[in-house]
Amino acid sequence: MNSQTKKVMVIGGGIAGMTAAWELARAGVEVALVEKAAFLGGYSIQYACKATDQCQQCGACGVEKMLANVIGEPRIRVYLAAEAAAVAGDGPFTVTLRASGNQPEAIDAACGKGYEKDPAACAAARGYSIHNAVFYKADGGFDPRRVAAPESVEVDAVVVATGFVPFNPDEKPTYRYRQVANVVTGLDLERAKRVYGDVRRPSDGALPKKMAFIQCVGSRDERLGHLWCSQACCPYALRSALATRFKHPELDITVFYMDIQNTTNSFDTFYEQCRQSMRFVRTIPVDMYETEDGGVRTRFMAEEDGLPVEEIFDLVVLSVGIMPGNDNPALAEMLGIGLGAEGFFARPDLLNTSATVRNGLFVAGTAGGPMTISGSMASAGQSAAAVLQYLGRA
Amino acid sequence: MTAKLETAMEQIEIATGVLVVGGGMTGVATALEVARQGYPVTLIEAGEKVGPAAESRPRTGLPDARRLQDMAARLAQTDGIEVLTATRLDAAAGVAGDFKVWLSTAEDVLERRVGAIVVATEFDTAPLYDGYGLTPGGAVIGQSELEQRLAGDPGSFSGKTVAFVAGFAQSGNPMVMQRIFHCVKALQDAGAAGVYVYVGDLKVADDGLEREYRTGRDRGAIYFKLKEAPAIAASGAQVVIGFHDPVVRQQIEVTADCLVVEESLGVGAQCADLAAILRIDIGPRGFLQSDNIYRFPVATNREGIFVAGASREVRSLPWALADARNAALQVAEVLGDGTRLVPRDKAVVDIGKCTFCLTCYRCCPHGAIYWLSENKPVISPVACQACGICASECPMDAIQIGGFTDDLIRGQIAAKLAQVNGDPAIVAFCCQNSALPAGEMAATFRMSVPAGLRTIQVPCAGKIDLQYILDAFVSGADGVLVMACHPGNCKSERGNTYASWRVEDAQRLIAGAGLEPERLRFATLAANMGTDFKAIVVDMDQKIRELGKSRLH
Repeated sequence: MNSQTKKVMVIGGGIAGMTAAWELARAGVEVALVEKAAFLGGYSIQYACKATDQCQQCGACGVEKMLANVIGEPRIRVYLAAEAAAVAGDGPFTVTLRASGNQPEAIDAACGKGYEKDPAACAAARGYSIHNAVFYKADGGFDPRRVAAPESVEVDAVVVATGFVPFNPDEKPTYRYRQVANVVTGLDLERAKRVYGDVRRPSDGALPKKMAFIQCVGSRDERLGHLWCSQACCPYALRSALATRFKHPELDITVFYMDIQNTTNSFDTFYEQCRQSMRFVRTIPVDMYETEDGGVRTRFMAEEDGLPVEEIFDLVVLSVGIMPGNDNPALAEMLGIGLGAEGFFARPDLLNTSATVRNGLFVAGTAGGPMTISGSMASAGQSAAAVLQYLGRA
Repeated sequence: MTAKLETAMEQIEIATGVLVVGGGMTGVATALEVARQGYPVTLIEAGEKVGPAAESRPRTGLPDARRLQDMAARLAQTDGIEVLTATRLDAAAGVAGDFKVWLSTAEDVLERRVGAIVVATEFDTAPLYDGYGLTPGGAVIGQSELEQRLAGDPGSFSGKTVAFVAGFAQSGNPMVMQRIFHCVKALQDAGAAGVYVYVGDLKVADDGLEREYRTGRDRGAIYFKLKEAPAIAASGAQVVIGFHDPVVRQQIEVTADCLVVEESLGVGAQCADLAAILRIDIGPRGFLQSDNIYRFPVATNREGIFVAGASREVRSLPWALADARNAALQVAEVLGDGTRLVPRDKAVVDIGKCTFCLTCYRCCPHGAIYWLSENKPVISPVACQACGICASECPMDAIQIGGFTDDLIRGQIAAKLAQVNGDPAIVAFCCQNSALPAGEMAATFRMSVPAGLRTIQVPCAGKIDLQYILDAFVSGADGVLVMACHPGNCKSERGNTYASWRVEDAQRLIAGAGLEPERLRFATLAANMGTDFKAIVVDMDQKIRELGKSRLH
């Protein structure tokens, strides 16, 4: 590292942004970590542990640990509820930040009566993690000692780690999301599991008896023009299903799928365990309706003969895919870096997938394409190394 | 204060050389990245060549070969990189910051002192003819052979029908699919009459693969996704592939001029030896990393030893190169400027008590303990992770962990129990990596936990002595919880296992003293499981209320 301290902005405080920020800070760089939401951790901090009696390597606890690293690192200055409004210069860059409008809720208002009264609000008001709780004052504002106000910042390099947006199932109206109470997304399920510690039916809070996961919701969908596999949803759904089944051995679980994607090196034994404890149906359901008692009547083509059948589930989980961020086009234009065919930030160099078309601008995590939590961490480490290389040259 | 701090810390000299094992592109990239940071590198390769030529990695879908060659050529132009081909790692000793390695070249055995080691070996690959009951020859070829023929004389496939089988002789993989997608495209460009692909699951979880698959299909390739391998009858120049389609209720047969058999992608043959030499854990399928999120992306159970690319997983070259950069980043973290400040009391051996029984050496999951010539154990303050497993396993109580000495913990147990008034007194020993933050989460989120709960922080559940558990009961606990990480999620790999064994032992002992074994419980949870923490402690409290006060007091 040069004698003069370098400064880097990381845009996005999800697992990739936090990892990049922490690795850079460890190497002696001053980091401005900018997050649009009112908490750090992005979607990944909202995921629950998926252990059975064994860890399933989902990585959710790793996010918690990385968040702890970040708040304990004095070289990282955190900007919450902030976003980049303008970028000037060609290295160094002057980035003007503005408020994103996502202010935190007052903790006392959301959680004054204690967790049991309103667990969801209580968890959300603290950014889902004890480590986010340090950012807030009880009256609902940010603690100025921990969160910097949006300002204009001069930096030597920028890492784009703005992440993804989960597929909005409204675009697939036959799944009747939001119309049928017990049709939820994987993210809904995860938030509920983190909050309540277990799976619940939204309609009545009861434990489901018969549950289905539907894979590839929004991914690998030609009609939507989404020609990519989201890579994280098979590992997500199978781990979640297996963990739930472990907790409730009587629970009947069906997984509707096109092709099951791999998890880690232990995929073979893991998948065998899944096949022993749940049913796999290689078809994607056609449509669903609500029954009088809150069940989800699901119509699909039987694998055996291709004929339509109906089955009623208590709870249907849509494994929604990883979509490019809504802000990607505007941000790409502001930064002068392109988007790829799928709408994620383009990574033109296969030998360094953290590089963009512009020197000094890098990409990390799902901003560049679908990946898992551990993939995002590896991607962010690569970006941090590439930034250090760039700073050493500059 | 400053003076005190200085005496509590010790400056250690760190060897800044780095050994990179493996001369494929992952090894090349690692060597270049490490050398760029100013650390001298020794790169060894068992074969005669480095760079793309040292790889069995499938070539399809990679950046053009010249860029890879250029990258490999930079090795020779970079100061501080020593490249040794036809060289193997024979032996290794020492710990992070101070490894000694012995390298056998064709003529000689060289000795080097290095501070860190990166294993960046390549895949082994072979066509899986046996898995399909086939013998190569005639119309039956392996994936590599097809790629060579397509590179050499694509025109020979004009008007031909080609079929692929994949995902039946091994569980599929995106790299296997990527090779097929590329060949499908090349065959279509060459004017093949028909392309059929028989697969189990279509593994498309890598960048761009779904699009490649759809493009090939739109151009006429036909994919059959089956649960079992199709029947294959090879007869000389042609192959007949058939399966029963349940939906159309008929046998579907294709006669192909060429049947392409998938190839395995497994861990390199030398990896088992390397794991033994380097004392690193072997994970599933022989890869050199246990399936533990603490190890991802490139760490092993030993400080200063890292794994990159095909030595740890089956993924495409861009990901292997990401590993190389991650490894270089972690190497720099270990080596720093060649010195490291470490606490003197991280793990201290009382030599007077030590009887040289080797227990600590055997149980240390991080390979941090070694011997000096006068038969004295040394715990390396650089390699040690301060988990305390050795301290709790040592039969002579000769090891103490800074901040977690036996005196401190036993003092805490007594002091905390003395504060409990009336409610059932429950001591929860909490691993600081999981149960402790989960408990803090429960408190911060204002979940209601039992009034008589007292938590004791430990660096790892492996540090929870049998004696601490018994102490707690003697000092007034009505119940004791031992809370560890889930199996497979212990930072020290086996600390939770040791803890569960000790709980079983302690349950027998307290039963002997007339206490109900249910007063002692072992539980596992993760750092983000505040709700579960609450559920466990509330459940324990109820149980103890049913059982009543401990009969020991």
